[in-house]
Amino acid sequence: MRLQIPLAITFLIGLFMAVQFFVPHEVFQYSFESLLAWVRIVGAFALVLGIGSLLRTHWDKIRRRRRDWPYSIVTIVSFLAMCVIGIGFGHEPGTVFYWVFENIQVPLDATMFSLLAFFIASAAFRTFRARSTEATLLLVAAVVVMLGRVPSALIVSFGDTAVGHYLHANMPDVSEWIMNFPTVAGKRGIIFGVALGAIATALRVILGIERSHLGGGGGGGQ
Amino acid sequence: MSGPSVRTIGPALALLLAATCAHAALPGAPLNVRAEDVEEDDRGTQLLVSWQAPEEIPDVPAASASYQIRCARLGMPAEPGPVVPIGETQSRLDGLKPWPWRPYEITVATRYDPPQAMILALNTVFGAEAPYALIESRPCGPVQPVGEWFRYDYTNILVLVIVISSIVLLTIYTVRGRAEEIYIRPIAGLEAVNDAVGRATEMGKPMVYVSGLSGIGDIATIASMLILGHLSRRAAAYETDIIVPCNDPMVMVAEREIVRQAYSEAGKPDAYRPENIWFVTDSQFGYVAAVDGIMVRERPAACFYMGYFFAEALILAETGNQTGAIQIAGTDADTQLPFFITACDYTLMGEELYAASAYLSRQPLLVAQLRGQDVAKAIIAAILIVGVAAATYAAIFESGWLAEKAAGFVAWFVA
Repeated sequence: MRLQIPLAITFLIGLFMAVQFFVPHEVFQYSFESLLAWVRIVGAFALVLGIGSLLRTHWDKIRRRRRDWPYSIVTIVSFLAMCVIGIGFGHEPGTVFYWVFENIQVPLDATMFSLLAFFIASAAFRTFRARSTEATLLLVAAVVVMLGRVPSALIVSFGDTAVGHYLHANMPDVSEWIMNFPTVAGKRGIIFGVALGAIATALRVILGIERSHLGGGGGGGQ
Repeated sequence: MSGPSVRTIGPALALLLAATCAHAALPGAPLNVRAEDVEEDDRGTQLLVSWQAPEEIPDVPAASASYQIRCARLGMPAEPGPVVPIGETQSRLDGLKPWPWRPYEITVATRYDPPQAMILALNTVFGAEAPYALIESRPCGPVQPVGEWFRYDYTNILVLVIVISSIVLLTIYTVRGRAEEIYIRPIAGLEAVNDAVGRATEMGKPMVYVSGLSGIGDIATIASMLILGHLSRRAAAYETDIIVPCNDPMVMVAEREIVRQAYSEAGKPDAYRPENIWFVTDSQFGYVAAVDGIMVRERPAACFYMGYFFAEALILAETGNQTGAIQIAGTDADTQLPFFITACDYTLMGEELYAASAYLSRQPLLVAQLRGQDVAKAIIAAILIVGVAAATYAAIFESGWLAEKAAGFVAWFVA
């Protein structure tokens, strides 16, 4: 029963979710929205468990004086402070919570995001080294695309013209061609595979062929 | 400033208010109220209510007239619907329920409101709603919107889903007995999973597993959790720690259960450490900062990124790269694939993420399903070739029976 009940629930809900996509009738859409509401409710309970796990992990670290334990104090204190000011004084614009969010959380997020620019540069440097024919092709394509799409520094004087235009008049067109044809063709191939894989995975989870998430060694074929 | 007062319009409103009690069509009430289903509303939640303007609308001093639609489910009190300007004679009623809910009775009333200044004054000074008067029409009904039971514009999707699902299931049924004979293309990224676990064991360092940033409802997360199950079984066998920082509490709960089960199956339930699987934050870059911190501090022997990723993909993978960990990624996010290919040692591209569970477990049913996927892929490739030929033919020969058929074939798939 420990296995059968989850499998039966997965089958019924999975089947319903597949069918509702094709049935616009209110009976199905209302049930679908109710199920989504249930997901949110279960998610709220899971959030309590999640927060519990976060606090327990950091508390354990502090208690056992594990490496870098002072950072765990910062985490717990920050968490509790935000809870107190958020629950106690509200979180609308103009409140302390909002101020902290806007002036600490948002800049920190932006800082992490801005690291991406540096990581792209380091990753591009590694990738575009012409060590093989394929890497050389990639390098050439990347240079053409970049030059054909990046606006010129002279944009103020000459309008919205790509840098590559000054090297060769057709370079922006070549860049567009690379992006619109070979790139899209490659992407579509991946998307077809993904769609098939998603259908097959959904089928084997719904039909109980795949049971590794419930325990039992992987497939249902044993 | 002179304006109408309560004293001026009070008696008129009271008179009209009294009139609303009567059900018979009164002078000034809208006539011939009709309600019909809205054809384009597939869901079945709308009715188009139309009526005929009364022959004469009584002139009430200092009151503005409009129409008010009222709707009552049979056996229930009426609820006010939209208010329509006096010149119009139809309106759409939304938020209704089709069969099997109870049908409705609809009435349309001529509505008299006091001037805007008085409504505002009553609201602000007394906090009261301004009085209004209704002259109601005869009720129309019982009536109910009609919902569609099939989305006809999705017919092509349904046909393809049924065809592909049938192929996969048929192949599973026919091939499962001889699944060992099926050739599976070696996938370097999955071959390297064992090496990664071995490396971590030899180095005595943990592994980090990130299951993407989409929620538990995403099929990529489910595929990722299946891989985590296999990986934890191996990690349990070698008693190697696996750290799973989670971005979604529901994913965390499911992953804890998967890893706990894997350790039990491996006969090492005591080695399972729930504190290694915890919820970090649902903030995208907060999560990235935490995982980057873990990688820099713990110096894991191996990092796995399996699931759906957004802009954080490269930040995670580059940090892992700098720590010297062996990195295996798998995603169906085509926009992030180039970043993983660049920064990771092995990358599972698109469908390989979904095939990983079958590949790692070698269970006959799962392996047979891979064959089914390949057959479906061959059919899609054939349809693509036929489609390209048909579209080209239709573009060159614009008229004629065959050109029309070719264009129709392409249009059926595109619709």
